[in-house]
Amino acid sequence: MIPQIDIGALGPMLPVAVGAILLPLAEVLMARKRTFLSRPFTQERRGTFLAVASLLCLVIALIISVNGLLGPSRVFNSGNPMIVMDGVAHFLNIVVLLGASLTVLGSVKYLADIHSNHGEYYALLMSSVLGMMFLTSASNLMMLFLALELMSIPLYVLAGFRRSSLRSNESALKYFLIGSFASGILLYGMAILYGMTGSISLAEIGKRFDPESAPHLLGAALVVVGLGFKISSVPFHQWAPDVYEGAPTSVTGFMATTVKVAAFGALMRVLAVALEPAAELLYGALWVMAVLSMTLGNVMAIIQQNIKRMLAYSSIAHVGYLLVGVIVGTLDGYAAVLFYLLVYTFMTIGAFTVVAILAKGGEDRDRVEDLAGLSQSRPLMAVVMTLCMFALAGIPPTAGFMGKFHLFRAAIERGIEIGDTSLFWLAIIGVLNSAISLAYYLRVPLVMYFRDAPPTSDPDVPGFFERVVLLTCLAAVVLLGIVPDDIFNVLSQTAASAQHLLLLQSP
Amino acid sequence: MIEGTLAWINSHLLTAVIFLPIVSLLVPMLLELFGWRLSATTWKLFALIVSGVGFGLALEVWDRFDASVGSMQMVERGGWIPDYGIHYYVGVDGISLFLVVLTAFLLPVIFVASWNEITKRVKQYIFFMMALQSGMLGAFLSLNLFLFYVFWEVMLIPMYFVIGIWGGPRKLYATVKFFIYTMVGSLLMLVGILVLVYLHYQQFPGDPITFDYIGFAGASGIIDTPIPTEGQPWWQNQVWLFLLFGVSFAIKVPLVPFHTWLPDAHVEAPTAGSVMLAGVLLKLGTYGFIRYSLPLFPIATIQLAPWIMWLAIIGIIYGALVAMVQSDVKKLVAYSSVSHLGFVILGLFALNLQGLEGAVLQMVNHGISTGALFLLIGMLYERRHVREISEFGGLARVMPVFTVFFLITTMSSIGLPALNGFVGEFLILLGTFAVSPIKVVFAISGVVLSAVYMLWMVRRVFFGPLVHDANRKLLDLSLREKLVATAMVVPMIWIGIYPATFLRPMDRSVSALLRKMETRGADLAAYQRVESGAGKKSAKVSRTVADE
Repeated sequence: MIPQIDIGALGPMLPVAVGAILLPLAEVLMARKRTFLSRPFTQERRGTFLAVASLLCLVIALIISVNGLLGPSRVFNSGNPMIVMDGVAHFLNIVVLLGASLTVLGSVKYLADIHSNHGEYYALLMSSVLGMMFLTSASNLMMLFLALELMSIPLYVLAGFRRSSLRSNESALKYFLIGSFASGILLYGMAILYGMTGSISLAEIGKRFDPESAPHLLGAALVVVGLGFKISSVPFHQWAPDVYEGAPTSVTGFMATTVKVAAFGALMRVLAVALEPAAELLYGALWVMAVLSMTLGNVMAIIQQNIKRMLAYSSIAHVGYLLVGVIVGTLDGYAAVLFYLLVYTFMTIGAFTVVAILAKGGEDRDRVEDLAGLSQSRPLMAVVMTLCMFALAGIPPTAGFMGKFHLFRAAIERGIEIGDTSLFWLAIIGVLNSAISLAYYLRVPLVMYFRDAPPTSDPDVPGFFERVVLLTCLAAVVLLGIVPDDIFNVLSQTAASAQHLLLLQSP
Repeated sequence: MIEGTLAWINSHLLTAVIFLPIVSLLVPMLLELFGWRLSATTWKLFALIVSGVGFGLALEVWDRFDASVGSMQMVERGGWIPDYGIHYYVGVDGISLFLVVLTAFLLPVIFVASWNEITKRVKQYIFFMMALQSGMLGAFLSLNLFLFYVFWEVMLIPMYFVIGIWGGPRKLYATVKFFIYTMVGSLLMLVGILVLVYLHYQQFPGDPITFDYIGFAGASGIIDTPIPTEGQPWWQNQVWLFLLFGVSFAIKVPLVPFHTWLPDAHVEAPTAGSVMLAGVLLKLGTYGFIRYSLPLFPIATIQLAPWIMWLAIIGIIYGALVAMVQSDVKKLVAYSSVSHLGFVILGLFALNLQGLEGAVLQMVNHGISTGALFLLIGMLYERRHVREISEFGGLARVMPVFTVFFLITTMSSIGLPALNGFVGEFLILLGTFAVSPIKVVFAISGVVLSAVYMLWMVRRVFFGPLVHDANRKLLDLSLREKLVATAMVVPMIWIGIYPATFLRPMDRSVSALLRKMETRGADLAAYQRVESGAGKKSAKVSRTVADE
């Protein structure tokens, strides 16, 4: 039987795919001596043009995704579906696209500042975004793996985008080695799952999975470990600080947010659909991973002097918080995770953009001391950075607080419902970790507001694009904290629209 | 438009009180955004006017307050995140009324007092003080646990900046310590709030989920859960919930042994910060106990009250002893706060009318007296830029007016009759005596010690020979400073001579609170009897009288 194909289900992906294919071509055409304008573009102009072009693709995709968000779920092919565009997939795509758009805007000046304004940057970024969008909607193992690779391989290149910088090269190599290693583990787990259940469809695996059998569990465990590498949860996190520190700042912001968004999408789908029968055991393991991620991430972040490294450890801690929602495992918990991913994207990209703006003369300025006196010289940047730090720490009335509130609320609600002490402890450990995290988040505003700038410092002025990013993040961090009601309602509906998937009914 | 605004304020008085400080800042901000350059003086003047209007609004609340009603008044309620039971829900009763008035009163006084002290970053200073004010007023007035938590945390950020930017030499250490300390406590409270809310939800499955914890006439769906003391997982019983809330409040008060952040924060903060800390922020801890811990966890309150009272007594005596050996005037006053707030806690956990009313009144008293002490010390510091007691001596000769004001404030702080401190302490001791006379004995030693360290300090600073040449040229108070000092002294005398003005509006609310504790399973009568031998005797006496 020939499966029926609904190509329209891929609507959001198409503009991004077109961009990923056409952008390198555009770059080559513009680099020629005689263009249609009869003179070559300057490198700077070329960068701006490519950025605007990719932004256009992303925005079109964004509009399609927003339209699809509350619509009915669409399935790419009949039979055993490969791609399911349900509410969760649409929402995660929106977050990924928002993150990517902000990254593109924040990259224009930064790439020039670090003397790496090469056109392929945007094409690589777009391919990676395409991979992420497939990852959030993949509903069989093959698709999942392909999407994961499509997402990761451009990122390996992007991490090493500063060709002349040793740190950037180290970052790329490390990321590549660990990434391939993780892919290998994941693939091995998938192979075992396929071998034992005879299907690559997540829903089918969920039906045939036998939690009593050791090979089944081994396969499940390997898949979780492989995804654990991608979300950089402890104990699979060691690569993150080095990679985040070495990669160009805009790429770091991109990696820290969108990759996690997509990987969490995949993790939730795999756990809720395919590995649901093994939930009991896996959640125990995830519980340990969550606690370790929070605690280790926060404690290690305290001693960092480099902001990018500090934010890397902080992102590990945030993976711990996010895992809380995954462990809760109810629709409410998943909705909380989705909300937190949205909030997390804004606050992290805001912080990384400020660091990116500071780069000057081919060099990053990413030590905490480089921010000294910023409140006097660049008040807008200081305000955005401060709010992002407070939001990451989870202090009201910022969006970060609302996010954490929903995560811990879901945990306690579930804990009381089933009388589970371990969920209560998760919430307690979570809030104590938020307190620990203050020790380093507070240091940033402290340096910006309470120290005077060294006389030699002359921080860069944010350009137009950067201003847009900063103001967007500012608005999002404040508004999602003060009026989170509507967006969270949408999320609850989204999670509910994906209910048929989460509850193991094949569509 | 103006009429519309006034009509709106008229019907949303409490909202106006809370948000006036922060929202009004939009005016100068917009002006600046459109190119008007406002001078620092204009900003200060604007801040002064707005805070004055804020005080006026608070007085209007007092005026409208109906003392014959024990429940919440001037209630406003609207959805915020209604699906999760989170409402914008504010109201005032006799317990919060005077704390609100006090808070609104202190801000204009502070702006006048710090007119010359703050010279750098004036706009930021005004912004943070206004944000702090809105946060504190919101915390006093909110009737929804979530809303309360948000205001409670929002206060921290401006305070962090006020200490960190305008503070003394060790400001960074002090402000980070203050922030982390309070944050640990409040995060635990957040968990407590969540457990409480979902327990209620579980016990009453039909009810919508709600964070509202107190009702007004005709309200439905509030947290009115008899939380069990046993039979549930341990983290869901009353004692543990009490502790989750209580740690947060105890840090804020601060109750020994959670007090170590206070001396650092007080000493390093600028005068305005110290006054706000001592005057209002510490009260939020005691207010938290009275508003949340007592009615929500009455059984646990009775179980734990003796222990907390002993901690309070340790605080009273320890604070006084440490204050005695301080060489820095500001640090001395800071430690005296530990001692004074011990009294407030003592009165609260006596769990009777006198004790509770005394405690609430003493919160206001301490805000006025200690606030005034910090203001006066600030004036001295502006002149000499030192605060060591040994640097002064004989100031009475060069600064007679200042000396008079300082003496009155000292007497009020010690608790001299006819001044405010006496009324509060007397009621507290009276209330405590009904529960446990032995505790009163210890507490009274604290009163004696407070006289010792305050008077000793006064003698060394104001009397004796003028040893330091720098002190000979000191100017006495200016008109501005006299105004500030007078504003602080008037309520001291008023409360001291005619406390009924302040006690009467509390009566109904406090007895309503006690009734609520009883309906939720607290055996208050037994508590008053069991703890005290005297209580037993008097009960016996009254029975024999009744028999005859």
